[in-house]
Amino acid sequence: MSIINYAAKVINFKIVYYGPGMAGKTANLQYVHRCLPDDNRGNMISLATGDDRTLFFDFLPVSATSVRGFTTKFQLYTVPGQSRYNMTRKLVLRGVDGIVFVADSQWDRLKENVESLRNLNDNLREYRLDLNAVPYVVQYNKRDLPDVAPIDYLEYTLNRGARRVPAFEAVAVTGTGVFDALNTVSRMVLLREFGQVQEGAS
Amino acid sequence: MRHDLVIHEADAARIDAVLERFLGDAGSAAVLLIERSGEPLAMAGSARTLDTVSIAALAAGAFSSTAALARLLGETEFSVLFHEGAKESLHVSTVDDDTILLAIFDERTTVGMVRLFAREASQSLKAILVDARRQPRRTGVLAAPLTPEEARSAIRQRPA
Repeated sequence: MSIINYAAKVINFKIVYYGPGMAGKTANLQYVHRCLPDDNRGNMISLATGDDRTLFFDFLPVSATSVRGFTTKFQLYTVPGQSRYNMTRKLVLRGVDGIVFVADSQWDRLKENVESLRNLNDNLREYRLDLNAVPYVVQYNKRDLPDVAPIDYLEYTLNRGARRVPAFEAVAVTGTGVFDALNTVSRMVLLREFGQVQEGAS
Repeated sequence: MRHDLVIHEADAARIDAVLERFLGDAGSAAVLLIERSGEPLAMAGSARTLDTVSIAALAAGAFSSTAALARLLGETEFSVLFHEGAKESLHVSTVDDDTILLAIFDERTTVGMVRLFAREASQSLKAILVDARRQPRRTGVLAAPLTPEEARSAIRQRPA
């Protein structure tokens, strides 16, 4: 949920990176954390298991350009991808404004991608949200690996809702496609909140 | 379902006054009002010197997982979460369905005092937030839609 504070002149949004286990959600946040200047981001928090898999969430606050004098802040969260952690995954979705679905492009992970997407839909419904109405992009990660499905096939499988959403090829560990997905979903969130004057309108 | 929240200057001042009064009454060092989605709404006392953004995200996470635990045990919610440290302790309590109050305190007061005045402060905060959620969403400079140029230039994150 967006929070606008007129006294502090701050607008807050929440963006959640969703997807199956080991798809690269944490890698997205780590790259953003590593590459943004200190002024634009806060501390990154990772609640992980001993083997570095997300247990509850990763969290990274990011500041964007100000809008009419209001600082716009995006709180980035990841969810734990493993199917057994659905209860915590649902908790992280609370108050979400925008979603990046991080899919693992490898052939042998297709089933997990489809299940995770279905799980996202189910969990959103519990908050009475609909994926067709929430700002949402898809990122096809791990494009550098040898055994990946073609983009057309992934699009057909994972991006076939009532609306086709922006999709990006990515190699999150090296940063390819990371900021494309983040900037696009952030812009969609902002436009959903504030609308946009049509080009040429007076 | 979206529960967007707009806090106007007058409500912010009312919230600040309640938080300041709580600090004085409870003898607490710091206090934060936090949305359960993890965003800090207001703060007072030494909270201003802390990483409140991280504290809010973690406290909201801890409180929601405690609420989930409660449901597993057949309770609606555990309304208070208390962590005792060697020097400083944390008290987190329910304000309303969307908001929690976090107090940080040391040996100069007791958990009983914090708990008593947190309950009182929560009642006042709840009333203010009910008003805030009823108000028009955006006014003043944010009332008009974004121009195409504003939309383009607002979000341009890139690696340093």
